[in-house]
Amino acid sequence: MYILPRKMTRRMIAALAEDHELYGPVLKDASGEPLFDKAADPADIRLDAAIPYNPPKGAVFPQTERIMSYTYSRESKQAFIERDDLVRPKALVGLRSCDLNGLLCLDRFFLGQEYVDEVYRDHRKKMFIVANTCVRPFPQCFCVCTDSGPTATEGFDVNLTADGEEYLFEAGSEKGEALAKRLGLKEAGPDAAGRKARVVEASIAHFDAEATENKAWISRVVNRITTGFIGNEVWKYIGDQCFECGACAFVCPTCSCFNIEDVVVGGGGAGGTRTDRLRSWDSCSFEGYTRMAGDHNPRKPVEDRRNKRFFCKLSYSQSKKYLRPGCVGCGRCARVCPGDIGLPNVVTYIRREITKAGAR
Amino acid sequence: MNDRNARAIVTVPEIAVINEIKDEIEDVRTFYFSFANKEAGRDFRIRSGQFVMCTVFGAGEFAVSLPFSPENDRLHLSVRQVGKVTRALHELGLGDKIGIRGPFGNGFPFEEIKGRNVVYAAGGIGIIPLRSSIVHVLQHRKDFGRIILLYGARSSKDLMFRYMIDEWKKIPGFETYIGIDRAELGWTGEVGFVHTLIAKARVPVKDTTAFVCGPPVMFNSVIKELQANGLKDDAIISTLERHMKCGIGKCQHCAIGRTLVCTDGPVYTYRQIKTLGEQI
Repeated sequence: MYILPRKMTRRMIAALAEDHELYGPVLKDASGEPLFDKAADPADIRLDAAIPYNPPKGAVFPQTERIMSYTYSRESKQAFIERDDLVRPKALVGLRSCDLNGLLCLDRFFLGQEYVDEVYRDHRKKMFIVANTCVRPFPQCFCVCTDSGPTATEGFDVNLTADGEEYLFEAGSEKGEALAKRLGLKEAGPDAAGRKARVVEASIAHFDAEATENKAWISRVVNRITTGFIGNEVWKYIGDQCFECGACAFVCPTCSCFNIEDVVVGGGGAGGTRTDRLRSWDSCSFEGYTRMAGDHNPRKPVEDRRNKRFFCKLSYSQSKKYLRPGCVGCGRCARVCPGDIGLPNVVTYIRREITKAGAR
Repeated sequence: MNDRNARAIVTVPEIAVINEIKDEIEDVRTFYFSFANKEAGRDFRIRSGQFVMCTVFGAGEFAVSLPFSPENDRLHLSVRQVGKVTRALHELGLGDKIGIRGPFGNGFPFEEIKGRNVVYAAGGIGIIPLRSSIVHVLQHRKDFGRIILLYGARSSKDLMFRYMIDEWKKIPGFETYIGIDRAELGWTGEVGFVHTLIAKARVPVKDTTAFVCGPPVMFNSVIKELQANGLKDDAIISTLERHMKCGIGKCQHCAIGRTLVCTDGPVYTYRQIKTLGEQI
C-alpha cells in the first residue's frame, strides 16, 4: 500500500486524463447533485461527492449508442456496412465498491457466457479503474448484505481509502503499481492494513442494524425465489405497485437488457439510404418488451413482468452468470421507485410472507 | 463453451443476395439467397432447428428459423409478413441484398434420434422450422424407423410446401397425413385438427420421437393426444419463438424463467417446456 496525500488526488486524476477519457462522480451545475459522468476537466471529479444518482454502467453500456451504420440503395442494390470503433481508453475514477461489483457482474455476463458481446468488449478494453472505499453510505444502502462493500476486494487497478488527510492507495494491478511509481508515492507504513480496517468498520457502523446484524437477510430470499416458493399474491402485491416506468432498471448497476433498432438517418443519395443501428437500454417492466410481431405477447400482467426482474437479481440460476447475486446493494432502485418496490422492500415482503407461512 | 458458435456471425451481418423468390401461401414467401462473400458462405454451417437474425436494410432485423437442411440444400428463408420488418422483406426483389447473422441456438437432435421412429406434427406455417429436420432425416432415410408427417392447416390454401411433400412421398417409407379443419369441395385428404391425425396414422410409441410445431391451440391438443398415446414428455420436442434482438443471450428479450430461447433453445423437450412457467 502507498500513501496518496489528499492534495495530490488532482495530480493523480490529471495523470490518468493524459491518455484516458475521464469518468467519475461530478456535480451537476445547477443543483449540485452527484452524477457519474464523463468529466472534461480533472478538477470536475469529486472523490468526496455523495453516491452518484446513476451507476457507472453508461461508460461501458451507454443508454443509447450506434453500434453500426449502413447504407443501402434499392437502385444499385449495393449494401455497405460500417462498424463503429468503440475502443477508447477510459479511466473510471472514484467507483464505490457497489458500483465496481456491478461492473464486474456486467463483465461476467457480457464477456463470460457462451458468446462475447463485442460491443461491450470494445468499451471495456484499455480501462483504468480507481475504486474508492465508501465512507458515507446512505440510509437505503445495503451492500454489506450483498457482499459488495463498503470496500472493493477485486477488479480495480487502484483502491483508495480516505483516512484523515491521506488516501491509502492500494494497487490492484501492474498498471496501478506503475501509477504509484509515476506519482512517486511513498510506501504506507506497517499500520496501513489496520488503518484501512478501522475506516471500513466505521463505515459499516453507519448502516442500519437490520443490514449488518442479519447476513442471511437476502440469502433466504434467494433460496425462495430459486425454488419458486413464493405465492402469486406476493407478486400481485408487488406488481400492483409497479408504475412500469423502468427507472429501477435504468439506475441499476447490473441491469443490462437492451433493445436494438434500425433508424434511417439519411436521404436516398447516390450511395443509398443511410441507417444507424442503435442499441439502447430496455426494461423488462415495459409491456412491449416481449411483444412479438403479430401482437402475440406471452407475458401480459404486470406482476408477471415484475417477478422477472427480481428473479434476475436474486435467483441462483442468474447468480451463476454473475458469480454472485445480481443485486449489489446500492439502494438506487429504492430511491427512484415511485411505488414502494425497490429491491430491499421486495426482499422484506418476501421475508414477511415466509414468516407468515411458517406461522400458519 | 462449445464449437457450435465458433463460426457464427455474431455482430456485423454478412451481406447476402436474394436470387429467387417463391410465393408459398398468402403472406408467406420463400427467399432463396447466397452470401456475397464466398468465404462467408463456405463457413456458414447450420444444424436443423437453429435460427438466424435477418436484416432488411433500412427496416431492421428479425429472428427467423431456418427451413433448409444442413446438407445439400439451398439456403433460403420462408417468411410470413406479419410486422414492419417482414413486410419490408416482402417488398424486396431479385438481386436485393439482405444481412444475415448466425446461425444461433441449439438445434434439433439428430444423432440422438438415429434408429428411432420420427413423427412430425405441424400446424400451418409451423412446418417451416420442421422442414429442415424432415429433409435431413430423409437424406439419411436408412438411419431411422418410420418417418411420419402429420400436417394440418385451416384450409387447403393455408397448406404450405405441398409440392415438396409430394416429392418426399416418393421416398419409400415416408408416411404423410394431411388434414384441413373443414371439408372443402374437391378435397380428398383428411378433415380434422392435427391431433386427430395421430390415431389415423397409428403413431408408434416405442422408440419414437415426436416434433411438434404450430400455433398454441394446435400445440396443446397434439401434446395431449401424444401423451394419451403413451409418449413420454422427453420424447416430444418443439421449437419456441420469442421477441429477439441479439441472438446471443445478451438482450434478454427472449427470457422465459431461467432459460433464454436464443442460446438455451429454441429447441426444447416438452419436459423442459413444462417447467418454464410461462405461456408458450
